Amino acid sequence: MDSNLDNKTVGSVLVIGGGIGGIQASLDLADSGYRVYLLESLPAIGGVMPTLDKTFPTNDCSMCILAPKLVEAGRHPNIELLTYSDFESIEGEAGHFSVRVRRKPRYVDPEKCTGCALCTKVDVPDLSRVVEHDGELWVERIAIDEAKCVQCGDCARACVKENSNAPAMSSIYDRQSNGLLPLPELEKARSAVEMRNVREMSKEERLGYWCYQMSKCMKCYGCRDICPVFVESECRMEDWAKPGLLPPDAPLYHLARAYYIAQRCTHCGFCEETCPSSLPLRALVDLIRHEDADDLFAFVPGLSEEQLQRIHASFPVRVRQEEPA
Amino acid sequence: MRDDFVLTTCPFCGCGCSFYLTVVNGCAVSVESCFTDRVSQGKLCIKGRHAQEFIHSPERLQTPLIRRNGELAEASWDEALDFVSQGLKRIKQTFSADAIGLLSSAKCTNEENYLMMRLARAVIGTNNVDHCARLCHASTVAGLAAAFGSGAMTNSIPEVADAECILITGSNTVEQHPLIGSRVLTAKERGATLIVVDPRETPLSAQADLFLRPRPGTDVTWINGFMNVIIKEGLHNAAFIKERTEGFEDLAKTVAAYDPARVESTTGVPAAQLIQAARAYAGAKSAMILYAMGITQHSTGTDNVKSIANLAMLTGNIGRPHSGVNPLRGQNNVQGACDMGALPNVYSGYQPVADALARARFEKAWGCELPTKPGLTVVEMTNAAAAGQLHALYVMGENPVLSDPDINHVHEALKKLDLLVVQDIFLTETAKLADVVLPGACFAEKEGTFTNTDRTVLRVRKAVEPPGQARADWRVLCEVAQRLGGDGFSYNDVADIMAEIARVTPSYGGISYERLDRGETLSWPCPNPNSPGTAILHKERFTRGLGRFHAIEYRAPAEEPDDQFPLILTTGRSMFHFHTGTMTRRISLLNHEEPTGYVEVNPEDAHHLSLADGEKVEVKSRRGSIEIATLVTKRVPQGTVFIPFHFAECAANALTNSALDPDSKIPELKVCAVSIAKRSAK
Repeated sequence: MDSNLDNKTVGSVLVIGGGIGGIQASLDLADSGYRVYLLESLPAIGGVMPTLDKTFPTNDCSMCILAPKLVEAGRHPNIELLTYSDFESIEGEAGHFSVRVRRKPRYVDPEKCTGCALCTKVDVPDLSRVVEHDGELWVERIAIDEAKCVQCGDCARACVKENSNAPAMSSIYDRQSNGLLPLPELEKARSAVEMRNVREMSKEERLGYWCYQMSKCMKCYGCRDICPVFVESECRMEDWAKPGLLPPDAPLYHLARAYYIAQRCTHCGFCEETCPSSLPLRALVDLIRHEDADDLFAFVPGLSEEQLQRIHASFPVRVRQEEPA
Repeated sequence: MRDDFVLTTCPFCGCGCSFYLTVVNGCAVSVESCFTDRVSQGKLCIKGRHAQEFIHSPERLQTPLIRRNGELAEASWDEALDFVSQGLKRIKQTFSADAIGLLSSAKCTNEENYLMMRLARAVIGTNNVDHCARLCHASTVAGLAAAFGSGAMTNSIPEVADAECILITGSNTVEQHPLIGSRVLTAKERGATLIVVDPRETPLSAQADLFLRPRPGTDVTWINGFMNVIIKEGLHNAAFIKERTEGFEDLAKTVAAYDPARVESTTGVPAAQLIQAARAYAGAKSAMILYAMGITQHSTGTDNVKSIANLAMLTGNIGRPHSGVNPLRGQNNVQGACDMGALPNVYSGYQPVADALARARFEKAWGCELPTKPGLTVVEMTNAAAAGQLHALYVMGENPVLSDPDINHVHEALKKLDLLVVQDIFLTETAKLADVVLPGACFAEKEGTFTNTDRTVLRVRKAVEPPGQARADWRVLCEVAQRLGGDGFSYNDVADIMAEIARVTPSYGGISYERLDRGETLSWPCPNPNSPGTAILHKERFTRGLGRFHAIEYRAPAEEPDDQFPLILTTGRSMFHFHTGTMTRRISLLNHEEPTGYVEVNPEDAHHLSLADGEKVEVKSRRGSIEIATLVTKRVPQGTVFIPFHFAECAANALTNSALDPDSKIPELKVCAVSIAKRSAK
């Protein structure tokens, strides 16, 4: 190292390869104060480790070791992930390299994509349905197999976030949806269309839409009972609705559940599939995760009594019980 | 730890949803939806989702009880069964076989109903066997049998979702048959026209395109009004009427007098609305009628049902997909209990006892002589008991002290009996009066089949053991029959019983446990092992040949409001409880939703009587009075009040009228005159 080191060096490091080694190196470097670029050619970091069941010599579960590190790498302010990207060329000298990276087309903006996976729920012809890619790890974010895409554009229409750079997407493989699709009568594409429709409505139309949907509720508590992440001792839905009232108080009854699970929802969709009234419950959780309650329902929970009154007034009919005249 | 998932059928309404019971260490801990089930598709209602809760209730009956010195005391099975058989023998000898009555149960399996029917007819020798279908759809069975030849839902549940027009009358479908209600909502979203005709607002009336509110008890009038409009405007299906029906001329003559103006004055339905609804119904390519207790529980119940059948035939809406006349049966196995012949006038498969050929067939199958005279119905049995003509009553899984009309009278009648045997899972209001109580098994503790409202036979599977010494009901019935000297009651399992049912019942001929356990969906008629079952009845021809039109004139309800009792009382169920609450009032979430009864009063009436919401009042009729809290709501029209009949502490049936329909003997539970008065103190 020469004496000009300080002038020439930049405080950033490129780590090539997003396997467990690359991730650990990036984390150590980032924690030491370096700006880290973590380059990975596949759509997501993780490498081979998640495909292993146990690790030598302690027989620890490999995902248990890897998962916290994946999350940390994904969220670390000093790490920038360059996934689905290839190393192209390198110039410069030690301490001051300049690297060209080729980013493969993703068709979705990873910053905007919420991983809701609605685009994968739209009907795709059987011919183009992919079952599994060798060694490819699919978590959270979506990518498209260009070889299979028929450019139908259905997935773009389904997208909640209206990806601007989404000319056409299709033939997407998503492991989670595969498990749910084979049952013929389940309305598989419903959520996608429903959410899209809601986003295109004006504020007033949205209010009417939700009032109609919620007026169908039969109060079976099925959305709560079937939910894998709902802990009854933490949130009692019974407390949010007047006993014996049918349909239950809208929108509080449904919002209580939706807000409670919003951050841990696994998108399994069972709430919607088990609902006897076919309320778009998944869409509701997805929407409140990304949008303001005021935009969605013209309603801010806990803020305005007058707004609450307005909602109650526009509710089609109070069927089971009424406030005394 | 041992755990298991057992696929079984819901014990509440007639939809017949299948679900999984989760069993951990021999204890049913939860209900999980079954996403591949034909009816529920993984959706369930609040009652079904919490059905596991009453199974292990500490109040379950665990040992037989015998009344000693006026108190019910624990006894062994041998003692109790001997007591029952000796008692029945004694009464049969002292009086006659017809001094004994048996009440079967729409909550029990097909096999148990069949055994009860066989016990009554072949062993005891009486046709006095009936069950609570008498209180719900007796008029459907009588009315539709007269019109079509077969008294059951003509189409299947999944078809509802694709109907073009749905006419719902006297059915609170969303609350009482939630999974059918769910399909009505789907149909509505797919563009169907929804017409609701009901005096009371229901969740579906809020979604309806047309909501007509006739006065209670005037159903014949508005249906005749519909037909009047349809014939006048030429919307009827002339080809269908000519080819498939008879008696059209008489009908046309009768309904000609029911012009919309007359209908408006009798029913209060505006003429314009009536015309609009009639056009919508007749104009649709496929129109379904769904109806329930609001049509049947009247002293004109059979007339109402026949009128509904007229309307469907007039427009040719029968024998095709997404159409038909669809009575929604209220209980899990009320269809099956009727099919199994737990009725005083028919054997299984509706073969009349008065028919010598049918009787000979059963005499040969059972190897004994059978009584020829049709027996007594539920309400007639009570009356006979009160008059001292009926001396013993064997009640399996029913609670007449709460479910029958005019329960003060029922109470008196039951007290007069020499022997009252009650077989149930809880110490119900009726069991408290019994001389012997036999502990039975609930749906989760025995094998069997239920037949749901669209005639589909569904498997019920054993998930857990009955509590204490309780036994499966079919085993108890076999024991009783054997002690009374009955032959042929040594069945190994329920599959044997089903095999016998299939042998003697043409419509169940092809149904076997083997096929059901293979996952086949079998709706009767299913005459042979190769038959796939029948989803739609009356396709090529009606069961009776030609469909019969009945010209019906309007008759007023048996009791109309007057100065002393100025309000009309109508009764029904609520979303959160089921029938006499024996099961649902032991489920905590349901009790949280609705802890006790209430009387729904229109705000105008409340103002007039100066009643506040939630105030305790006294509701009185000619037969009794109850104390109950008010619920002021626009849900009921002015002049009408509504009370759910689940609650023993404020039992609606203390007030109701036991006036009977002349054909089907169904009591008029939906209309009676009452008054409401403030309570002075408290």
